[in-house]
Amino acid sequence: MLQQLFMQSLNGLGVAGILVIAAAGLAIIFGVAGVINMAHGQFIMVGAYVAAYVDSQGGSMFLAIPLAFIVVAILGLVVERGVIQWIYDRPLETLLATWGVGIIIEVIMKFIFGTLGQKVGWPDLLDGSIKIFARPPHFPYYRVFHVALAIAIMAVTFYIIYRTNFGLKVRAVRRNRSMAGCLGIDTAKIDMLIFMYGSGLAGIAGAVIAPIKAATIDMGFSYAVSSYMVIVLGGVGNLLGIPTGSFLIGEGETLLAFRYNTVIGQLLVFLAIVIAIRVFPRGIFGYQERR
Amino acid sequence: MAINLAGGGATVRKVRRARLIPLWALILGALVMALIGTSPHYAGTDSYVVGLIGKFLCFAIFALSVDLIWGFAGILSLGQAVYFGIGAYMVALSMKLNYTLENATRYGGNIPDFMEWNGLTEVPGFMAPLLSTPVAVALALAIPTLLAFIFGVITFKRHIYGVYCAVITLAEALILERFIVEYQAYTGGFNGITDYSNLRGAPFLWVIIAVTVVCFLGARVLTHSRIGTVLKSIRDNDVRAEFMGYNVANYRIFVFCISAFMAAGAGAMYAAWVGIVSFLDTGPLLSVEAVIWTAVGGRATIIGPFIGAFLIRGLEFVLSGLDIELAGRSIAEYWQIFMGALFIAVVLWIPDGIVGTIGNWVRKRGTGTLGQIREDQDRLAHDRQHDWDPAGATKPGEERV
Amino acid sequence: MALLEIKGLTTEVSGYKIIDNLDFSVEANELRVLLGPNGAGKTTLIAMITGQFKPTAGKIFFDGKDITGRAPDEIFLAGISRKFQVPNMYETLSVYDNVMISLQTDRKVFKYMFKRVSPAENERIWEILEFIELADRANDPADTMSHGERQWLEMGMLIGSNPKLLLLDEPTTGMTEQGKQRTAQLIEKIAKSHTVLLVEHDMHVVRRLGKKVTVLHQGKLLAEGPLAEVVENEMVKAVYLGKGRH
Repeated sequence: MLQQLFMQSLNGLGVAGILVIAAAGLAIIFGVAGVINMAHGQFIMVGAYVAAYVDSQGGSMFLAIPLAFIVVAILGLVVERGVIQWIYDRPLETLLATWGVGIIIEVIMKFIFGTLGQKVGWPDLLDGSIKIFARPPHFPYYRVFHVALAIAIMAVTFYIIYRTNFGLKVRAVRRNRSMAGCLGIDTAKIDMLIFMYGSGLAGIAGAVIAPIKAATIDMGFSYAVSSYMVIVLGGVGNLLGIPTGSFLIGEGETLLAFRYNTVIGQLLVFLAIVIAIRVFPRGIFGYQERR
Repeated sequence: MAINLAGGGATVRKVRRARLIPLWALILGALVMALIGTSPHYAGTDSYVVGLIGKFLCFAIFALSVDLIWGFAGILSLGQAVYFGIGAYMVALSMKLNYTLENATRYGGNIPDFMEWNGLTEVPGFMAPLLSTPVAVALALAIPTLLAFIFGVITFKRHIYGVYCAVITLAEALILERFIVEYQAYTGGFNGITDYSNLRGAPFLWVIIAVTVVCFLGARVLTHSRIGTVLKSIRDNDVRAEFMGYNVANYRIFVFCISAFMAAGAGAMYAAWVGIVSFLDTGPLLSVEAVIWTAVGGRATIIGPFIGAFLIRGLEFVLSGLDIELAGRSIAEYWQIFMGALFIAVVLWIPDGIVGTIGNWVRKRGTGTLGQIREDQDRLAHDRQHDWDPAGATKPGEERV
Repeated sequence: MALLEIKGLTTEVSGYKIIDNLDFSVEANELRVLLGPNGAGKTTLIAMITGQFKPTAGKIFFDGKDITGRAPDEIFLAGISRKFQVPNMYETLSVYDNVMISLQTDRKVFKYMFKRVSPAENERIWEILEFIELADRANDPADTMSHGERQWLEMGMLIGSNPKLLLLDEPTTGMTEQGKQRTAQLIEKIAKSHTVLLVEHDMHVVRRLGKKVTVLHQGKLLAEGPLAEVVENEMVKAVYLGKGRH
């Protein structure tokens, strides 16, 4: 029993890893530009189809990940330039417009790939599992990979935001947009680049999820909603909010799903989040209100 | 320079207020009634058109409930279908239970078929109260209102609104949807609740119309009364309202509960009218769609949601029924692209919606654009006071520290 | 006891004391002007009194009651109205409605629900509108108003709420000299029947109002007294008024 619990919490870590990858892009966009991309789920889905395409051409997943990043980042660029750049100052209506974008992406993908799901293979490297205990369940390599990738993505993001010149500008825009603009920072360009980067991360998430769930048209939505919850729980005042929120939600859902079932797990985690926001109205790492 | 602080006293003290029931609404309503009353479709109450009208009216009330919180109080909920859906499920369950009491299933049981499939042999105890129709209707209205109250207390009291509120409500809708699919023994799961005697027909259509009129008037009274002004003030500037001594959270909870009540009523009538409910009626999709109906019709107007719901649902009906091929695919497949484009177009180009845009246009014809008004009046103010000079230049010789 | 009493008020934000152990009081029916260079803590003090921020230490007493750390709406109901630095109103509502919203009445939701504007209240609204000279624009939405008109409208809203204490945070910002004079006149008129705490930069206006003055500097009380006295105070000259020129 204790063994099982241990394995489940390891699995939860793997789920949290996926959540970090899925939520990081969304959280960065929300943190900097203040808009929530309702098409995030569809961006993830596009990333998954890129992986499926690469897989069908005999390419490896390690090729699919950068390719998904690039393709979805370009998609993000198109969406940002075409729609979102006009409505940054109306965050609530951005939700609606990007929802529309999501619908359009869905239909187009349906036209191209049909409604059937596409299976995506594993790289051989990730087959097999770590045998921590003699008896199954073992800890599969791909979970290790998810956690490692999540850490890598957070590290890269940390580096970009806190150590580069670009990151300095991003932080300036986030703290005080008009002031940053007055100091000669092209805020529109920062928004655009951040949107591309965040979208690209969604693409990576899709490419990583595809082998476990297969690429389907509606696969992204539940990950997107989980990502929104990561933002609500973790907050966007600090990048640490993303791993924290993901960890709590991933572990919570996995362990509760193990004890009860998936739906009850999600329900209880949701209730916990709603109660948590009474204590942390802007997330655990939200902006501190001036006191 | 003489400045008269005592006031001119020559002004006409008249407050312009919209009439509670505008004349055009009366005429329009009477016209619609006459159309329905004299329509040949009406004779055959099974007719598709009558069926659609009842359904659309329920959706219109639902959209109105979204408009109340979004248009008039500035709360965007992407999970309003939760309240619509719970209302619908309560009524559908009640009707299904009663229906199967009299009409045995294929396997001869007197419990709903989906319960049978899932190995239940009798109606679970907690569902027994639903056998009574008044209790079911009361529950269908009370449970969503109570849920909305609890949700409101948790979130609004902690100043959670805007984008956060939107995504939390969205997650709420998604989870309820999954809950219904998972617990299929009690909810019919993926298939929903079907095959019960619906109330589609002339008498119930009049009930729906009556409820619609009541909701329309109720919303109109609410938003045009003094409390409506407070709600709008909270939408415009919640910080100011709080410093004016209004407990903003309580007002938000209040309007959120009214909205949930209205949505639940719409859902209850919908279930009785259509005769089938499914998990989709509680999910994020319907929630967002209702927001779009409101946005298309016109936010912060009462008639807007009605127009939006009828227009989009009607278009959907017409377009998905058309048998036209485009690039090898039927137009029904393109329908969703059109919807998506509409979402974007409304937000980008007609943020005030159809009714709001027409209103702006009428006002513009009458008095010039808002910008012009502002300019004119700034000039007037300038002439009157001789002091409006944005540069704020100090006159020579004036003492300044 | 004074109407507003502040005792040992301290606010710290990340180690920096914005307000440092401040003792300060305003008597009833007084027109008090609060002076101080940028960053002296004037607006923070106002925010503290109205409950926007909570102090780290110290107490605020209003009308004999402890209001430290209460919610903004409660403090308003206790009788303190605040005018924001930037005009702050309900943009889509008409001027009339803006004043109507501010009228003194029971603001509990269910009490408010069935309320109509009574003839007496209507009369009061029109009086206020005429007082601030906006009566002929009563039906225009507030966002069609010019900057100066907004400032007056907001003061009208404050009068409507009939508070015991009015906090006016730089009401003349962005106005021309004539606008300032007119606003000063309006403040004088308000001060006849209300207690006013005025934050003001413009010495012109302060001079005109010429009442008791309190100078803040780096969160501390620097000087207090009649304007003429304070202006002669060496420390005040040094930190605020500049070298000799005023």
